[in-house]
Amino acid sequence: MPVGFLALFNSVFGGKYKTIPVDGHNISTIAFYTGGLTTYGVMLGAFTGILVAIVGAREAGWLKRFRGTPMPSGVFLAGEILYLFVTSLGLIIVMLAVSHFGYHLSLPAHAYLAIFCYTVLGVFAFCAMGLALTRLITTSEMAGSVGPFTVVILSFVSGVFLAPNLLPQWLLTFSSYLPLEPIVSGMQHAIALPGGSGLQLRPFIVLGIWGVVSFVIAQMNFTWEPQRG
Amino acid sequence: MLERSHVGEGSLANVIEVAGLTKRFGPLTAVDDVSFNVERGEIFGLLGKNGAGKTTTVEILEGYQSPDEGRVQVLGVDPKKGGGSWKDRIGLVLQDSDFDPSHTVTETVKLFAGFFSHPKSVAETLELVGLTDKATTRIGRLSGGQRRRVDVALGIVGSPELLFLDEPTTGFDPSARREFWTMLEGLRSSGTSILLTTHYMEEAQHLCDRIAILSAGRVVAEGTSTSLIALAGTTTVRFVYVEGLDVAALSREAGIEFSVQGEVVSATLATAQSQLLRLLHYVEHEGIELGGLEVVRPTLDDVFLDVTGDRA
Repeated sequence: MPVGFLALFNSVFGGKYKTIPVDGHNISTIAFYTGGLTTYGVMLGAFTGILVAIVGAREAGWLKRFRGTPMPSGVFLAGEILYLFVTSLGLIIVMLAVSHFGYHLSLPAHAYLAIFCYTVLGVFAFCAMGLALTRLITTSEMAGSVGPFTVVILSFVSGVFLAPNLLPQWLLTFSSYLPLEPIVSGMQHAIALPGGSGLQLRPFIVLGIWGVVSFVIAQMNFTWEPQRG
Repeated sequence: MLERSHVGEGSLANVIEVAGLTKRFGPLTAVDDVSFNVERGEIFGLLGKNGAGKTTTVEILEGYQSPDEGRVQVLGVDPKKGGGSWKDRIGLVLQDSDFDPSHTVTETVKLFAGFFSHPKSVAETLELVGLTDKATTRIGRLSGGQRRRVDVALGIVGSPELLFLDEPTTGFDPSARREFWTMLEGLRSSGTSILLTTHYMEEAQHLCDRIAILSAGRVVAEGTSTSLIALAGTTTVRFVYVEGLDVAALSREAGIEFSVQGEVVSATLATAQSQLLRLLHYVEHEGIELGGLEVVRPTLDDVFLDVTGDRA
C-alpha cells in the first residue's frame, strides 16, 4: 500500500511542487513522500501487526496455551516483534528501490544507517503502543480496523500525506508531540539532506517516551487469557 | 534441577495434593473447600456437571488461576510459582484450544516439541494419538475430533510425568472415544499420572482408578468407581407385566416390594440372590413366563444422580 501511495501522491503533487518545506529546509517532493510513506508503512505494519497478532493469538487461546509450556513468555513476543522488524526492513528496501529506479532519488551515504536506526526505534515504539492497547481490544476484527484507522489519522497531521505548510501552526505543534511526526521528519531529513550523521535527537526523545510509557502500560495490563466467552 | 529436589511437605507418592481449596468469583463460590490427592501413576477423574467447578479446579492446578484459600501442590510445587522446569514435567489439554489452521499437524507438534527438554518424537506422538495418516494435513482441514487429538498430541509430546485432560473426549464419536481410552491406558502403563475431568460417567467408570464427584464446587463423593457404586447399593429387578399376574401375591411370596409403572414391574432388592430365587420359584410354580426380565446393578450414573441431588 505505501508503494501505491508513493506513486499516487508523487503524481498528484510532484508536478505542482518541486520542493516541500520541512523544518525550514526545502526538500524534493519525492524525498518528502519516500520518507513519509516509508515511516507510515513501518507504523502501519508494526502497530497494526502487533495488535492483530497478539489479540488474535490471545482470543484463539494460543497465548494461554503457550504460557502452559516451558517456553519463556517473552520469546513469543520477541519473535513477533522481530518478524515485524524484518518485514519493515523489507518494505523499506522496496520503497527505496522504487524511489531510486522510478523517480531518480539518490540517498546521501549516511541515510542508510539513519533509516536503519529510525526503523529500530519505530518498530520498538509502535509495537509497544500496540501492546499497550491489546487490553482494550477484544477481537482481532477490531484490532484490524482500529490499527490502520489510527495510523491513517495520525499520518494526515504528521507530514506523511500533506505538506506541513498546509496545516495550521497549532496542529503542527500538537503533532510534534505525537509519535509519528518526529520520526517522519527525521526520515525525510536523512533522505534529503547531506551532511552529519543524518540522525536527529528529537525522534528518539519523543518516540522513546511513547515507547517506554506504552511498554510500562502494556506490562501492567497484559493478559494471556481470552477476553471473550 | 533445584526445583526437582525441592519437594513440599507432602508425600512423594502424590503428584497432586489439594487441601481446603476455595475460589470465589464475586458472590459465587466456584470451588468450595475442595481436598483430594492424586497418586503417582493413576488416572484420577474429576466428575461434575457444567459449572460444578471442575475447570476452575484444574486451572488452579495448572497455574492459570490463583486460589483464594487452601494449599495446592503439583509435583511438589505451588503451581503459581512453577517455572519452566516445572512446566517441562507437565502436559496440558485445555478445554478449548485452537491452533493455527494454516499449519500442518506435524508442524504444530514439532513447534511444541521444541519447548520441552525431553520431547517424544513427532512420529511417536502422532502414532499414540492415531494421527499418523494426517501428519501433513493442515489443522484447518481436520474434523473436530481430529483437532482434539492434536490437542492431546501437544499435551503428551513433552513426555510429561503428569497430564491434565479437561474434558478431552467432548465431540468424539463412540469408536474414537474407545481408541482414546486405550491410548490413555497405554500412557498410564508407561508411568504417566493423569488428572481427567469429564461429564461422561461411562468414561470415568472405564478409565479412572479413583474419582471425585464435584457438585456446586464441593466434593460430594470420592473413591474408586466400584466403591462409589457400592454406596448406591441396591440391585434392581424389572420385567414386563403379563396378563394374569397377581403382583400383590408375588410381592408377598417373594418377599419383595414390587411396584407397577405402566407396563413395567420393578423392585429394588436388598438380598439379591435369595429374593431372586423366590421370585423365579413363584413364577415357575404359577406357570407364568416373564418377558424382558432384567437384573441391573447401579451404574456410576445412578451414583452421580444420587450424590448431586439430581434424582428427581
